[in-house]
Amino acid sequence: MSESTRDAHQIPRSSKACRRLFGPVDSEQLRQDCDALMASCVQEARERWNFDFITETPLEGDFAWERVRGLGLPKIYLPTGPRGTWDDLGGGKRPSTSPALLQGTSQEDHVDLLLSCTLVPHSPERPEGSPGGPASQGRKRRQTSMTDFYHSKRRLIFSKRKP
Amino acid sequence: MELLCCEVDPVRRAVPDANLLHDDRVLQNLLTIEERYLPQCSYFKCVQKDIQPYMRRMVATWMLEVCEEQKCEEEVFPLAINYLDRFLAGVPTPKTHLQLLGAVCMFLASKLKETIPLTAEKLCIYTDNSIKPQELLEWELVVLGKLKWNLAAVTPHDFIEHILRKLPQPNEKLSLIRKHAQTFIALCATDFKFAMYPPSMIATGSVGAAICGLQQDEDVSSLTGDALVDLLARITNTDVDCLKACQEQIEVVLLNSLQQYRQDQDGSKSEDELDQASTPTDVRDIDL
Repeated sequence: MSESTRDAHQIPRSSKACRRLFGPVDSEQLRQDCDALMASCVQEARERWNFDFITETPLEGDFAWERVRGLGLPKIYLPTGPRGTWDDLGGGKRPSTSPALLQGTSQEDHVDLLLSCTLVPHSPERPEGSPGGPASQGRKRRQTSMTDFYHSKRRLIFSKRKP
Repeated sequence: MELLCCEVDPVRRAVPDANLLHDDRVLQNLLTIEERYLPQCSYFKCVQKDIQPYMRRMVATWMLEVCEEQKCEEEVFPLAINYLDRFLAGVPTPKTHLQLLGAVCMFLASKLKETIPLTAEKLCIYTDNSIKPQELLEWELVVLGKLKWNLAAVTPHDFIEHILRKLPQPNEKLSLIRKHAQTFIALCATDFKFAMYPPSMIATGSVGAAICGLQQDEDVSSLTGDALVDLLARITNTDVDCLKACQEQIEVVLLNSLQQYRQDQDGSKSEDELDQASTPTDVRDIDL
């Protein structure tokens, strides 16, 4: 099913819904706010996981990070595009750490994290986090950042490989 | 050469799953988790400095128009509003970003709920090209991050079938009741008053208001008045008085909306854009 099907709902020429609501939009301001908010997302993730996602270095905190080798990932998880492809992931090869990671797309971010390390919490943890409730000490149990999804995927793949 | 016949509805929908709808555990689980997806605070008081309640109504009304014109699934609009409210409850936002935010929320909700989602390009056209597709995509990531990727929020629509199933209505009346209830749910989403209400209460109140409204014209229900409210309240464990209050508020919002529509009809086209078409189209079908 292609885009063309939805295009059956073309925007009518005289659609009243095509309008700007609050005057001109300052693109420069949008850009700055976008960068600032993304930076705060990264900072939240850093604190949540005691891991620096930009330099890919573990930090002091609740979680112990260790490098994963020989995941033997299914093809679907292999990155495509400008960052190149690795056809052998079984030999512990991984791309060199990329400080520019977060300037790339989130998809690259995702794949690289998945390859680079797994998360070992000090205490047992439910694999699937529950959606975020109000902030509380139950931090081990909720998805407090977008990286929680990487986390559960990592665990899933990792545990599958174990005998 | 292959010939393709495109006369059928191109949208694929799953058939209603009796295993999900006829199992009370599903309803109980929905009731348990629904509060997690409510905005964390009444953000006009504690977070936003630039954005006023009337601006939320403007952006919500615009979003509803876009969803209706694009024939989005019913859940898309309330879900998008849920994203909008949850984002605004956490992030102070200037009013010039509000329409972009509304577009991003529709973009996400449509992708989650529809087989053929709205495109970024189309949404940008609806903002009169005041934003670019690239900006929409960048802000999509921001919104996802701030919502912590929790997109599968519970909406009032999730409760409708569970409620309707337990009513003693004849089957042929159900589709009309459902249609009106869906319209009330959309109406509630445009009004900030309802933003902090649990979705189950909005759903229950909407079904109640739909039956009461229809009852005046034809016999749609063997239950009326207090007996109906009691039954509805029991289905979703809602407090009876809260439910009554909610249903009354829905009826008030409907009345206001209808009055607004009549004013617009009375040739006051010169009114500024602020008040333009603040009536969901389906409401026009409803007679009180």
